[in-house]
Order: sequence, then structure tokens, then C-alpha cells
Amino acid sequence: MLFNSWEFIGFFSIVFLVYFSLPYIRRTLFILIASYVFYMAWKWEFAFLMLGVSYVNYYAGKKISQTDVKRKKQFWLVVALLLSLSPLIYFKYANFIIDNYLVLINTLGGKSTFTFLNVILPAGISFFTFQSLSYSIDVYYKKTTVENNFVNFAAFIAFFPQLVAGPIERSSHLLSQFKEKHQFKSEWFVEGAKLFIWGLFKKVVIADRLSLYVDDIYGNPESHTGATLTVATVFFAIQIYCDFSGYSDMAIGSARILGFKLMQNFNLPYLAVSISDFWKKWHISLSTWFADYLYIPMGGNRVKYLRWVFNIFVVFILSGFWHGAEWTFIVWGGLHALFYLLENWGDKLLYYFSMDKIKKYKTYKLFKIVMVFLLVCFAWIFFRANSISDAFLISIKIATDWNAIIYQGSSTVTFVLSILLILFLLVVQLLQYFKIASLYFSKPKTSPAFQFMWYILLLLGITLLGISSNAFIYFQF
Amino acid sequence: MLKLLDYIKKDEKFSKNLKIIIFSVVIFFACDTFLGYFLTKGLEKYYGLNTSSEVALVGHSHLMLGIDKSMLEKGLNKSVAKYTREGVNVSDRKIMVKQLLQHNPNLKTVIYGMDAWSFTGEGLSDNSYKLFYPFLEDNNVDTYVNNQADFSDYWVHKIIKTSRFNEGLINSSIRGYLDNWSNLKIGEVDTLQLKKEIALGRYRKIDNSVENVAILKETLAELESHNIEIILLYIPTIDLLNGAEKNKFKESISIIENLSKEFKNVKFISLLEPWSHDHSLFFDQIHLNPKGQKVITEELIKKLNLKK
Repeated sequence: MLFNSWEFIGFFSIVFLVYFSLPYIRRTLFILIASYVFYMAWKWEFAFLMLGVSYVNYYAGKKISQTDVKRKKQFWLVVALLLSLSPLIYFKYANFIIDNYLVLINTLGGKSTFTFLNVILPAGISFFTFQSLSYSIDVYYKKTTVENNFVNFAAFIAFFPQLVAGPIERSSHLLSQFKEKHQFKSEWFVEGAKLFIWGLFKKVVIADRLSLYVDDIYGNPESHTGATLTVATVFFAIQIYCDFSGYSDMAIGSARILGFKLMQNFNLPYLAVSISDFWKKWHISLSTWFADYLYIPMGGNRVKYLRWVFNIFVVFILSGFWHGAEWTFIVWGGLHALFYLLENWGDKLLYYFSMDKIKKYKTYKLFKIVMVFLLVCFAWIFFRANSISDAFLISIKIATDWNAIIYQGSSTVTFVLSILLILFLLVVQLLQYFKIASLYFSKPKTSPAFQFMWYILLLLGITLLGISSNAFIYFQF
Repeated sequence: MLKLLDYIKKDEKFSKNLKIIIFSVVIFFACDTFLGYFLTKGLEKYYGLNTSSEVALVGHSHLMLGIDKSMLEKGLNKSVAKYTREGVNVSDRKIMVKQLLQHNPNLKTVIYGMDAWSFTGEGLSDNSYKLFYPFLEDNNVDTYVNNQADFSDYWVHKIIKTSRFNEGLINSSIRGYLDNWSNLKIGEVDTLQLKKEIALGRYRKIDNSVENVAILKETLAELESHNIEIILLYIPTIDLLNGAEKNKFKESISIIENLSKEFKNVKFISLLEPWSHDHSLFFDQIHLNPKGQKVITEELIKKLNLKK
């Protein structure tokens, strides 16, 4: 069930009415049932997988908290890790491993009888696995209290607004909210609805429109000029931002209507002044997860220099791999690690030559914002390309093909509209940056009348320009 | 529910927020209705619906790019409605004809675009009924769309008028108000690439369906019953493509010729010869470029004026 569907609006309306009509004691169970109904609307079998992962971590958490013996704690933590990650590895990475094994065997001149597995990736598996593991790890390190009520815990893992696309919540932030006695507040309803509308606009008007052009160009990059590929890459940068942050906004907005506060997941990442700043603003819930549960336990930056470089590469590459089982995602992660290190060395050089004062100048900040955006766009080539060879072809063509002809897609009107929407998004982001417009749940500086018309316009924009999944498709151009 | 009502009573801002929400819904639907009306009227102007036009062009992009409306009007000294839409099949065109018959009282002649793929079901478009959402207030269109769309899709578009549009239709609507009907695709077909594609079998295959022929017959019969003159017009398609399936191509032409003989008011004008061999007229294998549009429109004017 997608957020941008009438089925979800109907489902959510029922959940909202029933949730606030129930006595407190029944609400968490209801949310749990509703979340499983939401998940099972896609493929009911995978609900058992989610239930299994939830129970493993719930039980492991209890066992970890019941003992003071370190070895026993470690044992249960390892059990939780193995049993939680195994389904993820099987469904998401098994075919990648088999594929690369076969390539290796063929290269060495051997033969293998291995065949690919016929698996469907369960929706949200990467998200609920990481969310479950964060709990077990936090209990192990005593960063959170153990949960003794399975219904509460299962509801925390399966909570439908953030189940399939995040944000990846921490038990210390979300689990405790299931124990609160939420009262209906119209203020929260309005706040949540506003964020949902903005998220829906970003997704169906901007992201889904840009994807039409990007899919066309990246589908056969060899047929297009460097200029066209550049445009498609920038379009993709905006598409993935609007798609992901749009979905996060809809998740956070829906949760808010029910009285829950989910964490902010995007904080104007394309206005970041450095790669490290970008990763503090992009998919915040994932980057903090990797920082807290991988980078810091590996020693973070409190290790020898070469070990730190190694840590950076491991974290970014695994982060890339988390996104998908392809070499393109691994390279994408590796590029970000490289950019991060280059930036670090650049900062050191500025300091060495006593030039770090330039960081205070606005021109330098603007230069850095543009540079970070360009570097991130370059990395996106690898994230989006259908293969490594395609990614290299696109990169080389962008760098060397100076033909200025830009393919405008099947419709010039759609192409021009796409550019206008990107400019519109930029203006809104700047207004959010200067705290004039609302970001997350901040109070805007505009008048109530202006805000009122703004949301009416967004709704009209959605109805007029929103792309439907079963739209009219014309094959002849 | 009692609990919810209890919260509402305790919520100090509820009354204010409820008024805002209700007011928002009212304003939204008011804007939606106004915008929907404005865009629909523009679209009617663009397609020549609800006008005093005596001649109407009915077809898909093939006819859209094949004929210059303004040039045709000057040449015939008659007003012309250019009701051509990308991806419309024979079923869609039946509805388009019904709209013209209902809303254009002075209609005397329909120039109906034909090609060898007119009776082929697959490969033109998907969900073409969605093109008719802006005209849901028309009973014929409403019935047609209701029979094709699923329940939620139909009712969403029925209730929210702006959801019936997209940027292409908005563009057409605005152009209707600006009296801008030019449809141009600039460029020349890459014949080398086309030959390769044809050799690989990468082209839309002709598959004449009895059902589609029957639908066209119904359309022609309805037009004839209103004493409307019908011209089945074959705007040239490139000879390279025409020759890819010679037998099927001949079969399609034969069907069109037979239809013109079956109905008194129907005439078949084929502009295939010699124009299908002049590759400089084509943007791609079936669509004409601006040069082709000019040449073919002039040719059509000559033929129509001769028939008088």
C-alpha cells in the first residue's frame, strides 16, 4: 500500500478514527494489527518474517538484560545479529553473492552448478532489520531499557508510517511513545497534514515526473549527448531527494496525526557545505545508525590514521551496499568515502597554510555548496546507472562529449515544467534554510493567510500535475 | 468514538482548526471547480468543440502532425475543428465523433485519419480513455470512461476536476485560448537507423482486428445517419515501413477501400503516392515534419477543392 494512493487515505482515516476512539490500553495492540494489515496488503507471507525478526530481538533483549555475564550478553547479541541479518542476506544479497561467485569461477576456468534463487525482496526488510538490531545493540550497551511487553516491541518494529521507507527509529525515541497516553490534538493533525501534503507534492509532482526523463536517458545512455546525460544526472539528484524525503515527510506527517513524533530524516542536504555536512543532512536515520553501530564501535576517529581511513571506507561502502545488491552501490559508497577523505585532506592543507579563515566567507560557503552538489551528483551516476560499465560510459560522455544538444524527452512541455519545478524546489529550500518556510515542524515566519493559500496551491498542484502509477502512456514517440 | 469526542471537547484549538480545515476544503473545491471549468473551455477551443466549424479532423498524432489547421481553413474557406489526440484508437475516435455531433451543430464534413495500423489493437497507447477525463460532463464520454476506468479512478476524477488534467492538456488548453494550433516536430527521419530497426523487427506490426473494423463501421454509420460527409484520409507513412509487411499493408488499404464503397457518404483519399517515397517530409516513420505538413496540407486542399 503506497502512501500516494487512495487505499492508504482510506486505511489511514479508519486507523485514525479507531485509534483515538479506543481506550489507551488497547491502542498499541490496534496499531500493531493495523501495521500488519498495512504490510500484508502487499505480500502476507512476509509478515511472518517481520514477526520473526521482531521476536528474535525482543527475546535477545530480554536475555541480554537478565544476565551480567559478558559472554552470555555477547552470545545473545550475536544470536540476534545472526538471526536478524540472515533473512536480509538471503533475500537481498544471495543472488549478488552467487552471481559474483559464478563470475569468479568462470574467470578461473572452472564450472559451477549454482543457480540463482527465485526470491522476492520483502518490502522494508532493510529498514525493520536495522531498527530491530538497534534495539538489541542498545540493550547490550545499556543505552536503552529492555522492553518486556512484546506487543509494544512488535508495534515499534512494525509501525506502519515508517515501516517500508524509514526513518529508522531508535527504541529510546519511538518505543517509549507507545506507552504515552496520546490525546487527539487538532494542532498535531494540522501539523501532520501539512507535512504530508508537502511530502506528497515532492513525490508525485516532482520526483515521479523527473523519473520519466531519467529512466528514458539512463535506459540507453549510449544514444545521448554529454549535455543530456548531465541534465539527466541533475534530474536524478532532485528525483531521489524528492522521492525519499517526500516519503519520509509523508511518514512523519502520518505519525504526527496519530500523536507520534518521528525523527527528522532530511535537513536540506543539497545546501550542505561539505561532504560530512551532507551526511548529517541526508537520510539522517541511516547515517546515524551506521555511525553509532559500526563506525564508533570500530573506533571511529580515535584510532591510528590508516585504521581511520579503513573505517571510513568500510562504513561508506557498507552504507552503499545497504541500498542495493549491485557493484554500482558499492562504488557509490566508495566514492563518498573518497570525497570525505579528500575534503579532510583539503581542510588540513588549508590549516597548514593558515588559509582556513576563508571558511568564514560567504563566497567560500557558496563555492562549497556548489562543489558538494556536483560531487554528490557525480556519485549519483553510479547509484542510478544500470551497470558499472554504463556508469563509466555516462561519466566519460559527460566529461568529453561537448555536444550541447539536449534531448528534451517525449514532451518539451514536460521537460520545461520539470526545470521550473526544480527552480521552485530551490526557492522553497532557500526559504526553509532562512527559516521563513517551515522545515520538519518548525514554525514558519509567513502569515496564516499565506500559509493557508500555500497549502491550497500545493493540493491543486498535486491534483493538476501529480503523476499517477497507471497514467496514460503513449508509445509512438 | 466517545473518547474521540471527549478529546475534541478538551482541545482548545479544535474549533479554530476545524474551521480552517472546513474553509480549506471549501476553497479547494471552489478553486478546483473554477480551474477545471477554465481549462476545459480552453481545451474545447483547442479541439474545436462547441464551435461553428463545418469541417472536423479526427485522428491521432499522425493526423495531428500531418495537417496544418490554419492552412486548411484558408484553403477551404471554412472553419475547421482539429480534434486530434495522441494515442486515440478507433474506440476513442468513436467517442470523439459523438462529441462533435453533439456539440458542433454546423458540422458537415469529417476528415478521419487512417493508416495501415488503424485496425491494430496493440502498440498505440495504454489507458487512452484517460484522455477524455476533461470531458466527463459529456454523457457519452462519462459512460465510455466509466466502462473502462476502475471505481476509485473514475470517482476521483469525477469529483476532483483538476485531477482530469496534466501538463500536456493544460498546454493545449492555454493554446486554445491563444488560438495556437501549430503542431510541429522539427527534424528528418534517420533512414539508416530506421532500416536497421525494421531489419531487427523493431516496429509496430499490423494486426487487423475484425472488432476494430466493426467499431469504425459503427462510427461511419453514425456520421452517415447525420448526413455528414466522411473522408477517410491516409496521410503518408514512410515507404520503408509500408514495405516491411507488404501483404498486411495491402490488406489494410483494401479494408479502407471497401469501407469507402460500403458507405455512400464515405470517400477515401490516399496521399501515399508519391509522398511516402520523399523521406525529407518525415520526422519519423509515421509522422511528418513541418515541410511534410505543408506539402500534404496543400495536396489535401487541392483534392478537396477538386471534389467540389
